[in-house]
Amino acid sequence: MNFEFLVNGKNVSVDVNPKKSLLNILRDELNMLSVKEGCGKGECGACTVLMNGKRVNSCLVPAFQLNGAVIYTIEGIMDWQSYKAMEKAYIEFGSVQCGFCMSGFLISTLSLMNENDNKISEDEMKWKLGGNICRCTGYTKIIEAVDFLSKQNELMSKVKRDFSNAFIEKI
Amino acid sequence: MKPEPFEIRIDAAEKLEGTAEYIRDMKVPGMWYGKTIRSIHANAEIVNIQFDPHYDWSKLTYVTAEEVPYNVVAMLETDMPFLAEKKVNYYGEPILLLAAENSELLKEAEEHIQIEYRKLPALFDMKKSAESEIKIFKENNTFKEIKIQKGDLNKAAADADFIIEMEAETGYQEHLYLEPQGIIAIPKDEKIEIHGSMQCPYYIKNALNKMFNEKIHVTVIQSVTGGAFGGKEDYPSLLAGHAALLANKCKHPVAMFYDREEDVQFTTKRHPSYHKDKAFVTKEGKILGLDLNVILDGGAYCTLSQVVLARAALTAAGCYFIPNITINAKAVATNTPPNGAFRGFGGPQAIFALEMLIEKIANELKMNPADVRKINLIKEGETTATSQILKYSVSAHETVDDVIQRSDYQNKHKKYAEHNKRILEKILNDEYPKENSDQKLKGIGVSAFQHGAGFTGTGENVIKGKIRVEINNEGKPVIFSAQTEMGQGEQTAFQIILAKSLNINVDDVIMSEVNTDLVPNSGPTVASRSTMIVGSLLVDAGKEIINQLTDLLNSENPGWKYEEGSFINNGSEISFIDASKKLAGLKIEKQYEHPPIIKFDDINWIGDAYPVFSWAASVAEVEVDPVTFEIKVTKYYTTHDIGKAINKDQAEAQIQGGSLQGIGYAIYEKVKIENEHYDIKGFADYIIPTPTEMPVFDVKIMENPYPYGPFGAKGLGELPLVGGAPAVLSALWMIFGKEFNKIPVMPEDLLVLFNSNQKVG
Repeated sequence: MNFEFLVNGKNVSVDVNPKKSLLNILRDELNMLSVKEGCGKGECGACTVLMNGKRVNSCLVPAFQLNGAVIYTIEGIMDWQSYKAMEKAYIEFGSVQCGFCMSGFLISTLSLMNENDNKISEDEMKWKLGGNICRCTGYTKIIEAVDFLSKQNELMSKVKRDFSNAFIEKI
Repeated sequence: MKPEPFEIRIDAAEKLEGTAEYIRDMKVPGMWYGKTIRSIHANAEIVNIQFDPHYDWSKLTYVTAEEVPYNVVAMLETDMPFLAEKKVNYYGEPILLLAAENSELLKEAEEHIQIEYRKLPALFDMKKSAESEIKIFKENNTFKEIKIQKGDLNKAAADADFIIEMEAETGYQEHLYLEPQGIIAIPKDEKIEIHGSMQCPYYIKNALNKMFNEKIHVTVIQSVTGGAFGGKEDYPSLLAGHAALLANKCKHPVAMFYDREEDVQFTTKRHPSYHKDKAFVTKEGKILGLDLNVILDGGAYCTLSQVVLARAALTAAGCYFIPNITINAKAVATNTPPNGAFRGFGGPQAIFALEMLIEKIANELKMNPADVRKINLIKEGETTATSQILKYSVSAHETVDDVIQRSDYQNKHKKYAEHNKRILEKILNDEYPKENSDQKLKGIGVSAFQHGAGFTGTGENVIKGKIRVEINNEGKPVIFSAQTEMGQGEQTAFQIILAKSLNINVDDVIMSEVNTDLVPNSGPTVASRSTMIVGSLLVDAGKEIINQLTDLLNSENPGWKYEEGSFINNGSEISFIDASKKLAGLKIEKQYEHPPIIKFDDINWIGDAYPVFSWAASVAEVEVDPVTFEIKVTKYYTTHDIGKAINKDQAEAQIQGGSLQGIGYAIYEKVKIENEHYDIKGFADYIIPTPTEMPVFDVKIMENPYPYGPFGAKGLGELPLVGGAPAVLSALWMIFGKEFNKIPVMPEDLLVLFNSNQKVG
């Protein structure tokens, strides 16, 4: 079956089994390799992408839900105004180890910054990143980076602007 | 805290941007997919394998055991086949391999294969293995037995005021690296190329050379590896063998990609252990003797169990000076997938059992647990269980004192005991124990632990790791080593070590691809050896490059000296890079051998078991909900002596990550055997800590240098995991005043403990 939707700002059309997951469509059909499969069952968060402004586990989204959807992966998010600051913080806080969970964490971080103001508590931060699992880092350096990011007012507004540019009126 | 600019990982940006190429990101034209057909019994004879004659097999390739040129996975023993031939020894053991263009075809074809078995009773109890009538490995199912003896236990028994005995048990632990196992084999004329997620490219090359009877040239290339923790040390040899067999037959590149379920069901786990120990103690808490007995469950094949056992035995006396000691350790076979390497490698089991014995001594002598530890900690000049005299870099006292003081352990120990009294009384009286919703039982626990860095015993002298540094046309040094980056930061550490040796920028040091056609065999990336052992070769290579450059410059015009990154002569100055262009093409090789003072007798288990130990101590603060018995570690202090932190930021990162794996091992991570196989399928039923379970980490790095390490560095990677579980359980001892001798501890275990108390009391 044919499905048409937006990925990273571009119209795409794929002819796939309606049960094929967004994760597999992104990787196999569209070569969006930043999206990783850690479990394929919505348990680990490595395949997190943005869909219509919300983060989703792309392994749990079947093709038949995709017509008209607006999807963003790191490949597209890299062009957002807010991206570089986020990448820089993750690098400078030493948050990266094996890297397999990282695109998921970045997307959850963006989502958290979009949905909250700068007064987000550490417990809330941990809770909102709770769907992303990392086996290497012990999370401390990730949380430090996110805490640093979420305290910057200007960046928080930039993230919100990026979200509205990417999703509003396109959904 | 932000790292120094030179500590920034070279692989961070590409991993964040999604351009780092993991094995599943590699595009290989004409690639097929492989599938493993596995046993559905834990112990059975294979009576018959039937391929449906009416099915069209022309679109697929299959490989049977008879087709494997040499059907043994080369490791320590020769017991494990690539494919089971007549008999299977565990549920899920590979019997056949299939490959086809897509997974739909594979699924369809599998339905047309029938395997007939004669099922036999299976063995799962390690304690009964040696005497069992079910034979898995040789006559007595024993992969190895180790006896270590020092002093005289009879003397300890005669002088002791108390004899304290305890049994202890540890469970399986699954690595749960985020990237499941994956290998691609690409056939090329008389050659086969292996790409994949791995720790030890030369282990794979060796196993495949033997499998093909040395008839095919095998090249192994590491892809970006998404976590390993020991799980990609031994297993990829088997998996790469499977991919290579299929690829060699169908002449297509073949990918063996496990999904999460296949990975957790059939790949290696940490060895479960059973301990039966006895301590001979004075009334002051001084341990005069230890009688330690350890059994490790190796699973159905030996793989690395013999060396895991060696580390367990050599770690069994922990951080303590024990004048009289007997250690009996054995690794036995059971009908489960082989247990393999996992960060700590026998150490976490050994330290757990010993630290719980120390808790019991404290409990029975009514002493403070930290004090019992301090009385017995080992010092420089004293001897270990193998009579190794510790000559340098010993920090057992320093790490324990530091963590006790920083965490305010002694005050909190009293304060929390007072806090818990009322709550515990209420629970015992069957009253609702919470006065407000935040009220939790509070505990504080301590652990002292160590890790011998590098291979056990004479291992490093057998491997003789070799590296090469080449100067390229731009005058930049390129490191050729087989050490793999799996997330731990090895590449960045190596850049820093060579850059510091040469006094140049880290960016000017280049890392070669890890490809067995290019890099010499510097040994496997295991045993916390890369920085300390292989890193020391980089320092040697750096010195030699400077010497050769100085000689070269002096041969043209005498008087050159190297100072702070430049060659200087009478007011003239040449930068390292400009000078080293003159040496473009230079190749320097360095090979490791232990410093001659390190000697070990691995028949009698006497001598220098490890060239040096890294030392650490932790304090865990734990809360237990008095209604749900949910256990949470809120704060985790730890002090690690690692000789020298090459990359302080990433050393801290290792300590945080490893400690959390140790906490998971204690209170979250559980695997049982049900219907002959593991009862887990992934993240939903094997629980590892998520961000919400992360305690506040307070990490301190101590630097007590090792004279033969690069800038004094010792091993780090495994150490942090070792102390997690005993510190957490020490806190549970403190809260409940009861014996804890088994991990994992789940809330339901605490409930049972309490119910049994009520019956007694």
